[in-house]
Amino acid sequence: MDLNTTFEADKDTVVMSSLLRLVKSTIGSKSLVGVTGLGLSLFVLSHMAGNLLILVDPKMYNLYGHALVTNPLIYLAEMGLIALFLAHVVKAVLLTFVNRQARPQKYAMASSGDKATSAVTKTMWAQGLIIFVFVILHLFTFKFGNYYEVIYDGEPVRDLHRLVVEVFAQPGYLVGYIIALLILGLHLSHGVGSAFQTLGFNHPKYTPMIKKISCLYAFIVAGGFIAQPLYVFFIYKG
Amino acid sequence: MGGTSEKTINLKLKIWKQNGPDDKGHFIEHEAKSVSTDMSFLEMMDVVNEDLVKAGKSPVEFDHDCREGICGACSMVINGNPHGPDTATTTCQLHMRRFQDGQTVVIEPFRARAFPVVRDLVVDRSAFDRIIQAGGFISVNTGNAQDANALPVPKVDADEAFASAACIGCGACVAVCKNASANLFVSAKITHLGLVPQGQAERDERARNMVQQMDQEGFGACTNTGACSAACPKEISLENIAQMNKDFLKASLKDRS
Amino acid sequence: MSNGTLNSNCPAGDIQSRWDNHKFSMKLVNPANKRKHSVIVVGTGLAGASASASMAELGYKVKAFTILDSPRRSHSIAAQGGINAAKNYPNDGDSIYRLFYDTVKGGDFRARESNVYRLAQISNNIIDQCVAQGVPFARDYGGLLANRSFGGAQVSRTFYARGQTGQQLLIGAYSALSRQVGLGKVDLHTRKEMLDLVVVNGKARGIITRDVTTGKIERHLADAVCLATGGYGNVYFLSTNAMNCNVTASWRAHKKGAYFANPCFTQIHPTCIPRSGDYQSKLTLMSESLRNDGRVWVPKEKGDHRRPNDIPEEERDYYLERIYPSFGNLVPRDVASRQAKFRVDEGRGVGPTGEAVYLDFLSAIKRDGEKAISEKYGNLFQMYEKITDENPYKVPMRIYPAVHYTMGGLWVDYNLQSNLPGLHVLGEANFSDHGANRLGASALMQGLADGYFVIPYTIGNYIASNTIEDVTVDHEAFKEAESTVRHRLDKIVAMNGSTTVDEIHRELGNIMWNHVGMSRTASGLKEAIEKIQTLREKFWVDGKIVGEANYKNAEVEKAGRVADFLELGELMAMDALTREESCGGHFREEHQTPENEAKRDDENFTHVAAWESTADNGGNKIEWQRHKEELDFEYVQPTQRSYK
Repeated sequence: MDLNTTFEADKDTVVMSSLLRLVKSTIGSKSLVGVTGLGLSLFVLSHMAGNLLILVDPKMYNLYGHALVTNPLIYLAEMGLIALFLAHVVKAVLLTFVNRQARPQKYAMASSGDKATSAVTKTMWAQGLIIFVFVILHLFTFKFGNYYEVIYDGEPVRDLHRLVVEVFAQPGYLVGYIIALLILGLHLSHGVGSAFQTLGFNHPKYTPMIKKISCLYAFIVAGGFIAQPLYVFFIYKG
Repeated sequence: MGGTSEKTINLKLKIWKQNGPDDKGHFIEHEAKSVSTDMSFLEMMDVVNEDLVKAGKSPVEFDHDCREGICGACSMVINGNPHGPDTATTTCQLHMRRFQDGQTVVIEPFRARAFPVVRDLVVDRSAFDRIIQAGGFISVNTGNAQDANALPVPKVDADEAFASAACIGCGACVAVCKNASANLFVSAKITHLGLVPQGQAERDERARNMVQQMDQEGFGACTNTGACSAACPKEISLENIAQMNKDFLKASLKDRS
Repeated sequence: MSNGTLNSNCPAGDIQSRWDNHKFSMKLVNPANKRKHSVIVVGTGLAGASASASMAELGYKVKAFTILDSPRRSHSIAAQGGINAAKNYPNDGDSIYRLFYDTVKGGDFRARESNVYRLAQISNNIIDQCVAQGVPFARDYGGLLANRSFGGAQVSRTFYARGQTGQQLLIGAYSALSRQVGLGKVDLHTRKEMLDLVVVNGKARGIITRDVTTGKIERHLADAVCLATGGYGNVYFLSTNAMNCNVTASWRAHKKGAYFANPCFTQIHPTCIPRSGDYQSKLTLMSESLRNDGRVWVPKEKGDHRRPNDIPEEERDYYLERIYPSFGNLVPRDVASRQAKFRVDEGRGVGPTGEAVYLDFLSAIKRDGEKAISEKYGNLFQMYEKITDENPYKVPMRIYPAVHYTMGGLWVDYNLQSNLPGLHVLGEANFSDHGANRLGASALMQGLADGYFVIPYTIGNYIASNTIEDVTVDHEAFKEAESTVRHRLDKIVAMNGSTTVDEIHRELGNIMWNHVGMSRTASGLKEAIEKIQTLREKFWVDGKIVGEANYKNAEVEKAGRVADFLELGELMAMDALTREESCGGHFREEHQTPENEAKRDDENFTHVAAWESTADNGGNKIEWQRHKEELDFEYVQPTQRSYK
């Protein structure tokens, strides 16, 4: 082995170690949660927008889904999404453990009045947990759920629309879905704005605006998602 | 006029007693009678202790020193709130006129893994000192300084630096945070020194070293609840934490080691 | 009673070049050898932290001690108003010589000229050093440093960081100290109280400490010892000092042979929040800087109980402006305090107790607007409102003098060394620079001057010019000191009477305030001595301690400190009794001018009184011998101070 390669190799491990240190640090971890969170927020927005096609036309809805799954980049996208999701969840869980350990003994009373904090921000981990479970169920219900087919212009296309109509006809599922999406909304309302703070952006002029936009964003996403089952249950007549 | 309208109230106190870091600890109950509303909270505690001593009972240990709200020694959690219910106030500056006759007052120590209980309400906050030792300074040996006016500092920066430097290191931020996170404390120092031109040379190293030490001490991470800033007697803003995050991320990515 | 003359070791020659010449003539320790030498620094306030940091930077092994849980809590942190320096940035005629002159005059000609001149010279370096450390001083819009005026000066030379200058300077010194701790150059011991000084063959070589959380007694050895343990204002029970401020370290050193100089020189600060009840634990200062914009007044009529805002302008007596037209509200502290006391004694005091005067900002608010005033004093106003429940933007503040600072302290020479070789004393703990009255914004200056710029030089000279014997902590002197400490603690823990330590302390405070306070008389002082002796006896016979000394027990800590205050109090009264003159903060009613100003006796008292503890037979009878250090005034001729 000549000297140069050893030097290069050493340099590589050193670079890794500083990045590793970053990822392991609480701030690095938290930033990862923030960045992945922002990525996932964009995903849910686009997902919601796609869902809204159901209000337009069942065919368009199905064709949109078809276009997505037949795109050759879909696997890459899915893998990216899974990576985002897992990084978000794993880092958040690890941080929650660190955070729990940091306060081994609880107080007899909670803070109150001017020093109280909002329940939403304090329970991000619980919301995350519920959303996590929901996402798994959601995948089983839809992505890996009953496969119906419909033929458009001679081409077989998955009839997701039928599945959606079927699923949301069940009041239990409808209610569960709405609750889950409301929780997602809460999660986003704090999460989106909070990610800016985590990633180092806080300004007395803009931060209050970001917080409002964050709430609006959450409202649009959750509202958009919830619109679909409500439409199916109450308005859509088959 | 408050100074002239002296009133007295009776309180039921539930005070945490703990013999040492390894003791389990428990609450004791004590009736505080005829407490003048002009008293500070710590003066009320003085009277309680004097009563306890007279009764041959061991008094309640608590940290306190300047009693002017600046040294950062006093540290109790009163009814769930570090330094009590008032914002921008330390326990020593909290006055009994803030309480009602007959009220129950629960007094606990700051609770955090990084702040082990020494005795009763006294906790060990030396973790904060170790974080400062890791980088909360500008390396300038005595005698090395140039003329004080050689480097102008924009007033805005000087004022902001002051606002961050106003931190008294009391630890209320850690005490109130559900994660016992020290982010507000650490970020206030990083921001203060990052805002003055003299602090630029070590800016990256400072952020890296202080954050690393903070993590080693066993504080939790920030989850942006804002509890710290609300409880901070000096109203240190969350902007500091964002600044620290930015400095730390930048410094870590730039790190050549 | 008097004998012996002390040598201040001041260099001779032109005052401007004394410090430079002295620095040149002092012996040096070569850089490689410095790491072989160790220094103990007790106290981590401005003086202690800056000294520890600076000596460690030079290479000495430093052991630093504080009774608090962190150096950052030291009471220097509470200084509000500012720090003086002769920068002359405002171009208003300031100079080193003027700062020197003002300080000597302000101290009523009882300070050492050489020391004061050096202090004024160094003042500029301090500001440079602090700014380099990142201390966020107030600045103007051009980005340059801002100044304000303080009492006793007609120039603006005070640098400030809102009303938290002490905090910012201490954090600066603390960060320098922390840096050295992180580098392993300073061994920092927190929550450890010095309970004795160890003297080996005539030289200070170590200390005995008690860990206040575990009660563990430890021996610490070094080549030299520096005390930077602050003042003894808490002998009055109520003062603006922090609760943990005490005289014990100094007093233990005094008992081991160090002379205590001018103990009766205490500063009563004119602008404090008046006391409100018997439970009161301490008094809160309102910075002197407030007198820049606040106007002091009382009603012209005695017993005028109207609300202050209902008293029309022409029925108010702005007495400082009336009596001292050229300095007005900015007369030195001793003068302002005494005048407030006179008004109250006349029956023109205000507030529920009648023991207060008004400090009124309404005209300043009218002139500059509430915003400007709030920018300068916001935190002080807020603090005032929290304590009194009154809004000073609307209602004038009520203020009254309170014990604030002690100019007296352990005697030191020009090198800051006490008469005990190896024992150096810095900051408020020594006596040297303020004479009989300290000017505002000078305490921070002196603490930092001693720590950053004096001791790092003079400690080297001491080490280089003395043979440091090779001893260990097993030396007889250490054993003896430790056993004295243990014996004393046993005695304290065994106290099982019916009076609490605080009750005794409060009683001592009353005696001191009434007889050794703002004005003193021979008969009152004699009475005080008797009363203190009785009280001391009562303390040991009837004092009550609960619990043991092997865990955190504040009662044990307090008892040790009060025991020392009970001795110091007597010495203060004795010093005040023997100083048959009035000067600065020491006002003997027998010695005053027709206008009730302090009347010095320069012929007989142009000297420092340094007391040696000669006999302590373990009983109640303590004896002292009074020594003198004659003061020469070559540059500033003593005159009757006039601020008219």
